[in-house]
Amino acid sequence: MKALLKQKEFSVLAIVIIICVILSFVSPVFLTVGNWMDILEGNTVIGILAIGMTLIIITSDIDVSVAALTTAVAVSIGFMFQYLPDSWFSVVLIFLIAPLIGMLLGAFNGILVSKIQIPAIVVTLGTLNIFSGLVLYFTNGNYINSTQFPQSFMAFSNIEILGIPILIYLFALVAVSTWFILKYTLIGRSVLAIGGNAQSSTRVGINFKKVKMFVFTYMGFLGGVAAIAQTSYTTAVDPNGLMGLELTVIAAVVLGGANIHGGRGSIPGTLLGVLLLAIMQNGMILARIDTFWQNVVTGAIIVIAVSYDEINHRRNQAKLANIDVKEAS
Amino acid sequence: MSDYILEMEHISKTFPGVKALDNVELKVKQGEVHALIGENGAGKSTLIKVLAGVHEADEGGRYLFEGIDADIHRPLDATLKGISIIYQDLSLFPNLSVAENIYIGRDSNKKPWTKINWKSMKELAGKALDELEMDIDLNKRVELLSIAQQQMIEIARALAFDSKLIVMDEPTSSLSSGEVEKLYRVIDKLKERGISVIFISHKLKELFRVSDRFTVLRDGQFVGSYDVEEIDEQQLIKRMVGREVVYENNTQKAAVGEKVFEVKNFSKEGNFKDINLSLYEGEILAVTGLVGSGRTELAQSIFGVNKADEGTLWLNGKDLKINSSEDAVKQGIAYVPEARQTQGLVLEQSIVNNMTLPVIDALRNKLKLIDRKVEKELTEQYIKSLDVRPSMPDLAADKLSGGNQQKVVIGKWLSAQPKLLIIDEPTNGIDIGAKTEIHKLLRRMVKEGIGVIMISSELPEVLSVSDRILVMSRGRIAGELNTLEADQEKVMNLALDTEEPEDKRQPEGAESTVHQEV
Repeated sequence: MKALLKQKEFSVLAIVIIICVILSFVSPVFLTVGNWMDILEGNTVIGILAIGMTLIIITSDIDVSVAALTTAVAVSIGFMFQYLPDSWFSVVLIFLIAPLIGMLLGAFNGILVSKIQIPAIVVTLGTLNIFSGLVLYFTNGNYINSTQFPQSFMAFSNIEILGIPILIYLFALVAVSTWFILKYTLIGRSVLAIGGNAQSSTRVGINFKKVKMFVFTYMGFLGGVAAIAQTSYTTAVDPNGLMGLELTVIAAVVLGGANIHGGRGSIPGTLLGVLLLAIMQNGMILARIDTFWQNVVTGAIIVIAVSYDEINHRRNQAKLANIDVKEAS
Repeated sequence: MSDYILEMEHISKTFPGVKALDNVELKVKQGEVHALIGENGAGKSTLIKVLAGVHEADEGGRYLFEGIDADIHRPLDATLKGISIIYQDLSLFPNLSVAENIYIGRDSNKKPWTKINWKSMKELAGKALDELEMDIDLNKRVELLSIAQQQMIEIARALAFDSKLIVMDEPTSSLSSGEVEKLYRVIDKLKERGISVIFISHKLKELFRVSDRFTVLRDGQFVGSYDVEEIDEQQLIKRMVGREVVYENNTQKAAVGEKVFEVKNFSKEGNFKDINLSLYEGEILAVTGLVGSGRTELAQSIFGVNKADEGTLWLNGKDLKINSSEDAVKQGIAYVPEARQTQGLVLEQSIVNNMTLPVIDALRNKLKLIDRKVEKELTEQYIKSLDVRPSMPDLAADKLSGGNQQKVVIGKWLSAQPKLLIIDEPTNGIDIGAKTEIHKLLRRMVKEGIGVIMISSELPEVLSVSDRILVMSRGRIAGELNTLEADQEKVMNLALDTEEPEDKRQPEGAESTVHQEV
């Protein structure tokens, strides 16, 4: 139990619970099942992207192209839908092709970062512009709406199992698989290792470039999955719909306890970070606070949380140094 | 088959412009503790890197492990063959658990999607720790452990790998004497199991306690290998320093004037203690010592980079208050750091921009903008007087040779007209011709009335350039020598501090910086 309390995720969880308690007083709607389903379903895209971003941030990199990448895949989906027959086969095909397109785009980022060794922020700023420019070229900035979608896909997006929308299952599946990868596979541990100490990792024979390549490709893969989720949730493709979303995604990951310097970060933490941002947004809407203030509050929480974490981290380090000196003398 | 587990012969390693290893030999028997010793820059680290597969030796060398061609081209090859290297700065992952840290690398050559078996991982890690009689929680994150415990994790990792040869690079440098004793017992245990250990250390006393054999390197060359019975400390020191003299020793007696600078009771925990030194007009004072003796830390504290805990400074008749390097510059102190490329120069910028950096405020015209013309004139003046080549003020600093870069750094500080110049390893990585020029420059500065303190670990340089030598060891001044009466052995004796009883060793704090030889 004590170990649990010490976990970083715990402090995020505590904040989530406190906000939930406050919000349940502010609005009677907040604690209803319906509202929670809305919150979760509405944040599936952010959640899936944040899970991919967690791996990238653990390796002390960043990817600001995620929203543009996801939109690019969503637009591809929209175009393909115009030619696909109305059959379940089309849904399956989309689930194969969309992640594949995402992977290709992600791998492009990965190659530039790992092989040519350009800093990730520069690479992904570049690809952010390439992706969104191409999207505008092909769509002229116009919506692709659901009239052109196969009915089977519309049916897919309305599926509920045990009263829970299908997208929430998709989100859960992504979260559990990624958690498993991090905890139980070699590649997952390599991700944590190069984030913890890049020099040590090469000394023990971890292939630095391969791992970087993996995290960006995996991010792309999840971008593809998120594109399906987005298309299914909005039943349309909006070329501008996700603009700026990368910042929310990064904020959720950092709120969840991942350290931008690398090495630290976890899937449960990121889920809590996503949840925290989501319920704040939801709560403020329920409390009828202006959108303008919503942004200010969200920003303030991010700054406070990260400062707190940084100060705490430094204090722990100082404590550790003390132990060393004591043991030495 | 021979009884050597490791045989390295005719090993050479050339880096662009430098021959780091020249026909070196290292042979280690099974189950022995083999000490590898030599001065800073003798080639120990390079040799270990060749052994570890970090560097590949030049053609023509022979590298056998367990009697067969080692065929090691990358670090993983060495690990898989049973060679573990414990670097001074350790190769641990602070964010991973003890068990993961011990086990990691075992399956680096497996497919990325291989599943990790936590149970067998913990079993193996636990077994390795048991063998070392260490009681550490396997689930604990390594960042929460002390340095000594972290080191044990590395040794446990080597055991878990079934290593047959473990290299320990300066393993005792951040341990207290109690922990050092514990480490020795662990090493004895490794020996009993038939594991060979290569032990690198500057502390001769401890080497005689743990080692069976010694290999001495000097200036990248093999001096010899000796059994512990056939050699004593004095002979070892003689072999470490007995190199060819590159420059003439200083024989000129300096005309010494008034005291210009004084350091009183300077202390900083974990770095240096009770430092007192005085500098007189007209002399060059050399401060020398081994890596980690605290000489660079002392210089940085005088310059205000890392404030000392205690002590006062006095320059030209008044006490100084220095809280930052900015204060130091204002008071007329200049510091030329050891890593001139990273700390002394803005490499991408032009010679002009580098040289006038400390005086940029004074070069502004009425509009408070930088007067490019005056700036250029000043630079050209220094380029001429220091003979920087090529004499092109607009050339980027990284296009210059090491010697010329150093001249730019010196020029940069001369433009600030300092009263005291502290110069750290002034000729590190510079070719011999340029070295002499830099030395002449230092002498000229002294004549012009600037106080010069030179920090150097290159003994011939110290003996050639300085008038007086302070030798530091373990954060203290171990002794003072008049250059006219000094020789390499005398200096080395003080630097190694062979006289001091072992239990008086200062524990070093966790803050102490980790030094890596180039």
